[in-house]
Amino acid sequence: MKNSFIARNPSILIFLACLAVFTLVITLMSHAYGTGGISTSFVKTLGRTLCLCLVAIAMDLVWGYCGILSLGHFAFFGLGGYMVGMWLMYARTEIIVIESLANSPIPPTAQEVQDAIGTQIFGVVGSSEFPLIWSFAHSLTLQLLLVVLIPGVLALVFGWLAFRSRVTGVYLSILTQAMTLALSLYLFQNESGLRGNNGLSGLQNLPGVTAGQDAISVWFLWASALALGLGYLLAAWVVSGKFGSVVRGIRDDEARVRFLGYSVETYKLFIFTLTAIIAAVAGALYYPQAGIINPGEIAPIASIYLAVWVAIGGRGRLYGAVIGAAVVSLVSTWFTGGMVPALNLGFYRIDWVDWWLVLLGLSFVLVTLFAPKGIGGLFDLVGARMAPNRHGADYGPGKGSLREKEGQE
Amino acid sequence: MSTLLEVSGVSVTFDGFRAINNLSFQIGEAELRAIIGPNGAGKTTFMDIVTGKTRPDEGRVIWGEKSVNLLKMNEAKIAQAGIGRKFQRPTVFEDQSVYDNLLMAVKNARGPLPVLFYKPTFKDRGKVEELASEIGLADELSRKSGELSHGQKQWLEIGMLLAQEPRLLLVDEPAAGMTLAEREHTTDLLVEAAKTRAVVVVEHDMEFVRRLNCKVTVLHEGSVLAEGSLDHVTANQQVIDVYLGR
Repeated sequence: MKNSFIARNPSILIFLACLAVFTLVITLMSHAYGTGGISTSFVKTLGRTLCLCLVAIAMDLVWGYCGILSLGHFAFFGLGGYMVGMWLMYARTEIIVIESLANSPIPPTAQEVQDAIGTQIFGVVGSSEFPLIWSFAHSLTLQLLLVVLIPGVLALVFGWLAFRSRVTGVYLSILTQAMTLALSLYLFQNESGLRGNNGLSGLQNLPGVTAGQDAISVWFLWASALALGLGYLLAAWVVSGKFGSVVRGIRDDEARVRFLGYSVETYKLFIFTLTAIIAAVAGALYYPQAGIINPGEIAPIASIYLAVWVAIGGRGRLYGAVIGAAVVSLVSTWFTGGMVPALNLGFYRIDWVDWWLVLLGLSFVLVTLFAPKGIGGLFDLVGARMAPNRHGADYGPGKGSLREKEGQE
Repeated sequence: MSTLLEVSGVSVTFDGFRAINNLSFQIGEAELRAIIGPNGAGKTTFMDIVTGKTRPDEGRVIWGEKSVNLLKMNEAKIAQAGIGRKFQRPTVFEDQSVYDNLLMAVKNARGPLPVLFYKPTFKDRGKVEELASEIGLADELSRKSGELSHGQKQWLEIGMLLAQEPRLLLVDEPAAGMTLAEREHTTDLLVEAAKTRAVVVVEHDMEFVRRLNCKVTVLHEGSVLAEGSLDHVTANQQVIDVYLGR
């Protein structure tokens, strides 16, 4: 069964092989486990990029396959990051507080430790009380569960309300933008209990781990690669077979699917929630590598970028989404990092840090107009050369000409 | 003959325009029926009401021997209850193969989880192949349905309807845009289907209706004007005035 699934989708094997080789090469060039040819910060960038590829897969599932242009999936990504960030921050602060109180003449009580942690974390927003939402922050297991539960339940409730009312198309996109904007504005408030615009910081330090950042960065690269590989497998399995047929049917002709007896709303809700969870897992792996998360991360523009990546990579094919996210985010890092020499036109100096967004917007427009299949469409060129689709026509007018099927073998 | 579908006293208004006006209609098991009428007579709206797309302002739509009220159900539930619908323009999933189109329609559990873990059984595959040869697409199973001709798409859609194993088939202008030979094939398909289930055909084309050789209901301004054999209704003076005489 497993074999036939892989056999029917050879692109999965190719993708997993590429991912494995990539991970191995980076590991062998890292400071901790190899030659040291790649700086630790660049390993982190690559690890983060893998997480962005994973959230792009989620976007491709919901938009490229199911036709729901959600412009709010970065909200789920950010929520996943917040959930894991709460534990990281709590556990690390706890260690620091216990160390500093260990020197005091009287051993501190549990309450004193708790208060000291509160003061440390919330002092920046003028508070020392733990808000209710931090109730589970002491437990890694519970917070990891929340990574899945909070975005999952939010997507379930939001999706149920939206799909039940048959909100589709651009109205749904606007609604999802409103959701991510509302969430972002809420988190900006100090009263939200997640440190307002300061966000959560120091997430790159794993509590209780003595290894340096050079090793940790590689571990996270491995974890991100594993998550991306599993996410790709899951997504490929979901869109293969009859479920994939139904989902693509919903994208192309929702009413027809309904009259076939499929409950379109349930399917949309399923895909929306599943992709929200994938996005949250990606976020939970991304922010420890970024080190900091603040409400600016889930601003509406982030989710729009997500759609741009998938469009440039080629929607409706999973590897397209991965390529789009990787290429655009890495090129973006390159341009905005100030590493690209400015272009001097004589009368004007093009500074790429400022002009990168214009370039990105332009390439988005050009891809949409002239190459709707995106970068992923390039693979069709290779494929077409091997097995041209002749619509059942023979290779020539003569009676003895090669038939289409012969040409393929 | 027991009644399969009973529509009684149904009215629906769109922005003050009465599309269906106190319409009553009955169809029994294994009956073939043609509905004709001028543009705006409410033929398509009638189908929309039965399949749950449009909610009527008043009236009742009762289904099956258990007398289920269809007005309380959504489109998917109504389809699952056994009402299949073919649209005026051919609507198949053009990005997907003929095989996938048919397999999606084959009667099976429709929930997301059974579908996610679904494996095509020997029986289902056999059914798809049987249907494909019935609609004359046995050699096209692996082709994308978007590559098919207009007539082939219409047949594929009829095949998808049959795969659902509905007890009532609603077919909206199946012969539109077909060549003469294609029309004859379509007539055969519908007459064959009507041997085991109820089939309602909405059609403009009198020749096509004559070939179906069945009871005819004439709609006008949202209600039934006449009902009976084609010769009977075409002899009706009112029918001639509103429809045929133009």
